[in-house]
Amino acid sequence: MINTAILSWVTFIFFAAFVFYLFRMILGREFWGKLATWTALAGLAAQSVALIIRWKTSYDLNMGHVPLSNFYESLIFFSWTIVLLYLLMERQLKNRSIGVFVMPVAFLIMAYASIAPGMNNRIEPLIPALQSNWLTSHVLTCFMGYAAFTVAFALGIMFFVRHAAGADSAKASVFIRLLPSEYLMDELMYSSVALGFIFLSLGIVTGSVWAHYAWGSYWGWDPKETWSLITWLTYAVMLHARGVRGWRGRRMAIMAIAGFGCVLFTYLGVNLLPSLHSYMT
Amino acid sequence: MTKNKSRLWSFFSSVELAILLLSLIAFFAVIGTLVPQREAAVELAGRMSPGLFFFLNKMQIFDLYHSIWFLLLMFLLSVNLVICSLERFPMAWRRFRLRLSPQNEDVFKNLPEENSFLTTADAPQAANIVAGLLERKFRHFKRTDESGSSFFCAEKGRFSSLGVYIVHLSILILIAGVMIGFVFGREGYVNIVEGEAINAIALRNSNQMLPLPFDVRCDKFTVEFYKGGAPKTYQSNLTFLRNNQPIFSGKLLVNHPIELEGFRFYQSSYGAAPEGKASLSILKNGKKPMAITLSPGEGFDLPGGEGQVKVLRIEENMMKMGPAVKLAVNGSKGDVAFWVFQQIDKIRQMNPGIIEQVPMFNPGIFRPYHFVLTGMEEKYYTGLQVTRDPGTPVVAAAAVLLICGLMLVLFSYARQVWIRIDQEKDKVRIRIAGRSYKNKAGLESEVQYLLAEIKDSLEKTK
Ligand code: HEM
Repeated sequence: MINTAILSWVTFIFFAAFVFYLFRMILGREFWGKLATWTALAGLAAQSVALIIRWKTSYDLNMGHVPLSNFYESLIFFSWTIVLLYLLMERQLKNRSIGVFVMPVAFLIMAYASIAPGMNNRIEPLIPALQSNWLTSHVLTCFMGYAAFTVAFALGIMFFVRHAAGADSAKASVFIRLLPSEYLMDELMYSSVALGFIFLSLGIVTGSVWAHYAWGSYWGWDPKETWSLITWLTYAVMLHARGVRGWRGRRMAIMAIAGFGCVLFTYLGVNLLPSLHSYMT
Repeated sequence: MTKNKSRLWSFFSSVELAILLLSLIAFFAVIGTLVPQREAAVELAGRMSPGLFFFLNKMQIFDLYHSIWFLLLMFLLSVNLVICSLERFPMAWRRFRLRLSPQNEDVFKNLPEENSFLTTADAPQAANIVAGLLERKFRHFKRTDESGSSFFCAEKGRFSSLGVYIVHLSILILIAGVMIGFVFGREGYVNIVEGEAINAIALRNSNQMLPLPFDVRCDKFTVEFYKGGAPKTYQSNLTFLRNNQPIFSGKLLVNHPIELEGFRFYQSSYGAAPEGKASLSILKNGKKPMAITLSPGEGFDLPGGEGQVKVLRIEENMMKMGPAVKLAVNGSKGDVAFWVFQQIDKIRQMNPGIIEQVPMFNPGIFRPYHFVLTGMEEKYYTGLQVTRDPGTPVVAAAAVLLICGLMLVLFSYARQVWIRIDQEKDKVRIRIAGRSYKNKAGLESEVQYLLAEIKDSLEKTK
């Protein structure tokens, strides 16, 4: 199908964008940065087109639904939100250094969606329990949250890269000098986590509303629900540690990376446990 | 005594305790996803020594989310939240109520060099420019003038400092709502065969029945499939009755529950009820077919008066050979019972000689009649989940409050600026000071922006 063909191309485009961001960081020439931004933007546009085609095709096949209904579609949407959020941030901050850490995540997700064995990329009809607008808002808000947490994670990794290079910036390579200051990275990490926290809260609330209509109870301690709560609590601890205990920098970076671990487990690991959210089966 | 009390108080008012409790709840939740819970735990019993299983069961490890441990954590978290807020709220309230005064010597102490500049413009003109700018950027501002000097103050996001209390209050309401559900909530299941009514449900996790204040009748159940065979819709048409008078009727679909008098009904499963109907065609000497539709137990007289036919059983898939009915004929020449398969022709093709070997499978055994099963009318039962949770509206209110509070806390921030204009010999000095409890970087750029705007406007008026 045409949409999956476009999406496999998008995987390569994101990879190219990552390589260009890397060239910029190594060669220190802004030309590569501009090229990287435009490449990422082109990838995002192609991905949006593919998603819209997919959406329309599902209506042509008489089972119309938003392309957010199976594991493959959720991976595509996940990488879409990550790239969108990153490009917005890049525009706002006028700083391209984060791209070299964010783009590989988007690329890896797309690559996984394209080549993972047993990945089902067909458009499939929705079983009755999934036919709900609340479910759509639930998936939408959750992935917005996940994308923001992904950016925070990338910043956490960046923080450690810069930290490991030491404070002696005179001797540092171009790569290190192009990274934002530790102070700025800490602020950005906080903003990303704050954004993610709101979206995750919205995601949990909309998910509960859906469960209320579909399963008979707003909360059922299903493993996926429980893990989203664990993720939420982890970030709540992070916000308190920062706001009240004054944690900054390295500790926040550790929390951002650990929090992202929870996000990944909520998204992927939980499928090893039996659950209602049977994306993977 | 007072010393003890104050120690307890400070223990419960500490944010360290909050961090510990939140981490503990997360930790318990992790354990709950790793150890099988409730029904799933039964399987573990076989693989564990009985003593250990008994102990873990007593410790409520197999029902962690409803255990005393979880309740205790919720309780401690609530106490922590209440005391912590009581401790801090008065300060926040005072700060919230405090009206700024334009004349504030303190904020201009130790002002960085770059937050002030000298200009040759005259003071009243500069004051007008500042007033216009603050009007645009802050909407409300205050001004006082005093012997050649002008003082301004303006602020944004006064409510943001209350956001934290809204978030924490919403958590308390959430816990209250969950507890109401815990104590007063009920959850049960019931199957209703098409055409029949029930007036009680089986409670989950107990052997009890819960009577309903009305009867529920299933008028019809339908299931539709997509072309590929995946289910598309399940629908039960239900009628609710009291004293045999219908009080409500409606369609129940997945994702569209029906609520009546606090009970919520959900479409959760379905199945074929044993009592379907079979449509038969009866031929005498291969002629004059006669059609009739029957349920198990029903019967009829053969047209020639040779005997009475009764339906014993109806099977959807008899011995994997498709739909079949078992008939008994009480004839004057004796009784005979046999099966009538719908796909008898296909069965004979695949197993030549079967009728001769197994006379029970011969639909023409009662001569001169021949029976044909023309169709089955299936009868379904619908499986409903029934819940009653008076805590739900409380939880919903808490969720709305939580989101609003979080927006206030995380997306807005309180910010105050003071500007003063002083005549210094033949020049005018303009100074800007700012204060923010959060988002210092944002304040910094706001102050720089204001400075640049004022300089710019002063340039233009020259
Ligand atoms: C699930 C429970 C909780 C959630 C979701 C939550 C959420 C939050 C949020 C979002 C903030 C703002 C952080 C920031 O400024 O970046 C905050 C601050 C705070 N929280 Fe909590 N909180 C929870 C439980 C608690 C508990 C149990 C306490 C008990 C002491 C507590 C005490 C505080 C304090 C003292 C602040 C700082 C207020 C300030 O900045 O003046 N929180 N909380």
